[in-house]
Amino acid sequence: MGPQHPSMHGVLRLIVTLDGEDVIDCEPILGYLHRGMEKIAENRTIIQYLPYVTRWDYLATMFTEAITVNAPEFLENIQIPQRASYIRVIMLELSRIASHLLWLGPFMADLGMRMMHNYFRIGGVAADLPYGWIDKCLDFCDYFLRGVIEYQQLITQNPIFLERVEGVGFISGEEAVNWGLSGPMLRASGIQWDLRKVDLYESYNQFDWKVQWQKEGDSLARYLVRIGEMRESIKIIQQAVEKIPGGPYENLEVRRFKKAKNSEWNDFEYRFLGKKPSPNFELSKQELYARVEAPKGELGIYLVGDDSLFPWRWKIRPPGFINLQILPQLVKKMKLADIMTILGSIDIIMGEVDR
Amino acid sequence: MQGPLSAWLVKHGLVHRSLGFDYQGIETLQIKSEDWHSIAVILYVYGYNYLRSQCAYDVAPGGLLASVYHLTRIESGIDQPEEVCIKVYVPRKNPRIPSIFWVWKSADFQERESYDMLGISYENHPRLKRILMPESWIGWPLRKDYIAPNFYEIQDAY
Repeated sequence: MGPQHPSMHGVLRLIVTLDGEDVIDCEPILGYLHRGMEKIAENRTIIQYLPYVTRWDYLATMFTEAITVNAPEFLENIQIPQRASYIRVIMLELSRIASHLLWLGPFMADLGMRMMHNYFRIGGVAADLPYGWIDKCLDFCDYFLRGVIEYQQLITQNPIFLERVEGVGFISGEEAVNWGLSGPMLRASGIQWDLRKVDLYESYNQFDWKVQWQKEGDSLARYLVRIGEMRESIKIIQQAVEKIPGGPYENLEVRRFKKAKNSEWNDFEYRFLGKKPSPNFELSKQELYARVEAPKGELGIYLVGDDSLFPWRWKIRPPGFINLQILPQLVKKMKLADIMTILGSIDIIMGEVDR
Repeated sequence: MQGPLSAWLVKHGLVHRSLGFDYQGIETLQIKSEDWHSIAVILYVYGYNYLRSQCAYDVAPGGLLASVYHLTRIESGIDQPEEVCIKVYVPRKNPRIPSIFWVWKSADFQERESYDMLGISYENHPRLKRILMPESWIGWPLRKDYIAPNFYEIQDAY
């Protein structure tokens, strides 16, 4: 099944071995969209690199930006103002809804659209929310809840859908952990593992929401987990929008050279952090692994800094790449038509698989 | 400075070197390439059932290559998961590390990517071939001494 598909899965080539209608084996071939993101990152500062990261997962761009600014923030111990943290959470959850909706679209054979934001910055966000945005956000939440209920009635009770999706592509919980899956695929197999609850990043612990999980581990369970996640996201957005604090939205703070002592305000060596001056944000010689819960799974960055503007190694741990490994095992003994169902339920974006 | 896992390994007489902690407080250990497959099984039995991420990087131009494994213990509904980071250093001339695909299957594509980008060959991996670059590509792109072919600006600089 060649690199181009009529149903918008990106450029993925599957070599399928068939016996009549049954699938014996399947080998995915990747690399058609490899752009060398990791090598490029070794020669760019963070601010220069931000436009690249939206091209990994182009349906949920906020997550890629969030992890790109989170990694250096953890490395240099930068605190974010509360308001910026809440704004980030709202944006992330909206982006999660967008990603799940756009997953739902091709999953039902439709088309979607892409948005490139370039909104996050180290220390906060690029600009504050405009006036009237919050009211529009609340209106969207109500409208969306009604839409989700309507989708559920249309789809979940539909017998044709259930027959195509139930029991297809089953993974047990232990296998899912061994194969390194993450996100809705892991939660649909009975493991309650959500990085927003485990890692407690970005003020998620101040909202009241539950981890969505199912026990069955087939495509129907994954579908239910994603729909449930969309409703939880709406709950989080409504709470965040009510409780958003005032205050600054960016952290303009001094960053000193390693050797010098405390410098005075407005001195020659006083350096700001933020997008307005020229990029002089140095990464110290440490390494760390930062991660977020993207809609596809666990998106991680392993960052090795080396006391200069550019990272020494910027390794992206893409959820789609790791979730795709299990495809040959899932399609054994299924019919040919089930391959597309299973591939759709894994929720792959080739932009991040290939980078 | 030794972490709890390092102390446990010393108690059982397993050769390793503790590299301290990374910036977020995750324990880092260095394992020799020959011992890695046995220690991987021991860690799996100890409880680390999730290979979060496997990556490789170039320690210094002309120096060693490092292969990094992040392991976690996944359980339903816990707060602070146990994590450890393992590094295996190999020389540049003949980089070979035993594959841990048979312990944690999530190493399948990730080890292929490390092979593709840096040239570290993983023994006993079932399908070790290039994954992101075309199969006929020569060279290891993520090494620091890699020269991109047909990149005329760089070539003229030499």
